[in-house]
Amino acid sequence: MAEPRLKGRIAKSVLAGISVFVVVGVYVLVSSIDLGLWTSLGPGPGMFPFAMGVLLVAMSVVWLFQELRNPSETPGGVDGRLVIAVVVSLAVLAAVLDLLGFQLSMFAFLLYHLKVRGRRGWLSSLIIALAGSVGAFYAFNYGLNVSLPTAGIPLLNSIGL
Amino acid sequence: METLNELMGGFAAAMTWQNLLFAFLGCLLGTIIGVLPGIGPVAGVALLIPLTMNLDATGAIIMLCAIFYGTAYGGTITSVLLNTPGEAASAITTIDGYAMTKIGKAGAALTIAAVGSFVGGTIATLGLVAAAKPLGEMGLLVGPPEFFALMVVGISLLVALAGKSMVKALISGALGLLISMVGIDPVAGAPRFTFGSDNLLDGVSFVAVIVGVFGLSEILSYRKDTSASMVQAPGLRSLLPNRTEWRRSAPAMARGTGIGFGLGLIPGMTGSVSSLLAYGAEKKFSKHRSELGKGAIEGVAGPETANNAHANAALIPLFTLGIPASPTIAVLMGAFLQQGLTPGPTLFTEHSEIAWAIIASLFIGNVLLLLLNVPLVGLWTSILRVPASILTALILLFMVIGAYTINFNVFDVFVMIAFGLLGLGLRHLDIPLAPMVLTLVLGPLMERSLRESLEISQGDFGIFVNRPISVVLIGLGLLIVLSPLLKLRKPKALNEDPET
Repeated sequence: MAEPRLKGRIAKSVLAGISVFVVVGVYVLVSSIDLGLWTSLGPGPGMFPFAMGVLLVAMSVVWLFQELRNPSETPGGVDGRLVIAVVVSLAVLAAVLDLLGFQLSMFAFLLYHLKVRGRRGWLSSLIIALAGSVGAFYAFNYGLNVSLPTAGIPLLNSIGL
Repeated sequence: METLNELMGGFAAAMTWQNLLFAFLGCLLGTIIGVLPGIGPVAGVALLIPLTMNLDATGAIIMLCAIFYGTAYGGTITSVLLNTPGEAASAITTIDGYAMTKIGKAGAALTIAAVGSFVGGTIATLGLVAAAKPLGEMGLLVGPPEFFALMVVGISLLVALAGKSMVKALISGALGLLISMVGIDPVAGAPRFTFGSDNLLDGVSFVAVIVGVFGLSEILSYRKDTSASMVQAPGLRSLLPNRTEWRRSAPAMARGTGIGFGLGLIPGMTGSVSSLLAYGAEKKFSKHRSELGKGAIEGVAGPETANNAHANAALIPLFTLGIPASPTIAVLMGAFLQQGLTPGPTLFTEHSEIAWAIIASLFIGNVLLLLLNVPLVGLWTSILRVPASILTALILLFMVIGAYTINFNVFDVFVMIAFGLLGLGLRHLDIPLAPMVLTLVLGPLMERSLRESLEISQGDFGIFVNRPISVVLIGLGLLIVLSPLLKLRKPKALNEDPET
């Protein structure tokens, strides 16, 4: 883990964060006006978002001034490899969930996290991945009456996946 | 008498085998969440909401309430045995709890903590019973303007949850409100911020957002292995405190109950503040204060009783006024709303049977927690020996199932991922997450009641000041917001509170 940054300049991540909030706030302001701020019956659909857009932009500007006056210490960087591994694997899982079905896609997902990332032995990885995929599928479908997705590919579906 | 009859009716409903099972499972899961470092009660309760989706409203809320107060005790186990609090409110227990472990008295510390939790939780629930009827009768007087005023009081809690920076808290609160506004506008029916996606017409799923912001972002910010392979569970014989320890614990439990109950009623106060102040009270009033820090039983009994009394007392503003007193209660309120129940004065007029069944289940849950926790200490500590890689994989599995089963749509899994990244960014920028969850839950209710009120008055804001309940509540909300300017400062403990 990186050491906390010493005081002196505004951290790039803080500046980036403030910029994002300002952009989001301005987008909300513009969209809210299009939605309509007031109707004959009182506030329109855009009134509340407009107020929040104003608050977001105003607070971001105040935060920027606070940082210019007294830059805060930002925590050390995140573990980029962990973030990428978890986010990409989750996104791939979500993308193939309806196609391959819960059992197959979750089995591969768990195996990746246990065997490849966690460096666990084959036997324990396989047992946990099977329990977490096939076991969870049957527990939720038949125990809790919560339907988890089956494969969209007819061949896989026909063998119970 | 009428209250007693309704409570008895509640017991009859809560003691069906299904509801007892839900309370038992909730206590079990809550304790596990409390034991595991890294998953706080907010993420834990949110993560388990999908498990209750197919249950009837009574069973679902009974289970989620049990999870909520189960986490309060679970955190104690790791505080005492490992010097690592499973959740923030148990942090102070590490001082004397771990010191007792080092001198071979871990079992006595855990038993006293369990009994203290039971005492504090039960007395606070009695308070809920007493307050429910009079405040519930207010339900008949609550129209949209009064409801809006209640939401103003709820939103004003942002001040208490702000942590170190009010500016960052307001950014977090504004983001929560904006997220809650995605979807069809509740009054005019116009789509807002849907970007042309049909998936967003019903809004962003509350559960997916909470699981992402609190749960996934926690995993994404992991930095080291949190498994504890050196934990040694105490033997069953050592679990029994001796007579002196019982005698010394009783006054500490009484003080802890008073502090936890009192502070639990104040919206914005978290369990951490109660346990910190209870420890402070022991330092001031205990006959054995010189032993505090060296393994004094009062240092465990006081804070742990206060922690659980607080957790149960914090349900009083939720049940009777619809005000979530902490981020975890806000998630619980979200679960109520998902079940079609609106917590607050109208709960006792519209869903009286469900409300009393839930209250009765709180008593049952406190007994279950006591029966469950003391003999199973060995099991809880063994959970900590599970390697972090396995725990992470299993938590991710539950997150995916939780997000998917909200609408049986993979879109919600993508929503969870997106909000996981947002949560990671907010954590990195030291922006508190608690205000976001508060506004996420209260925002839509506040907007709807404001606009309904103004429709009634044909745009005249005078409707809020012409009605006595509404004007008093709005005044109270303004007082809370302006309290920093009026120098009504919150305790120092709240500024350093990890829960905010």
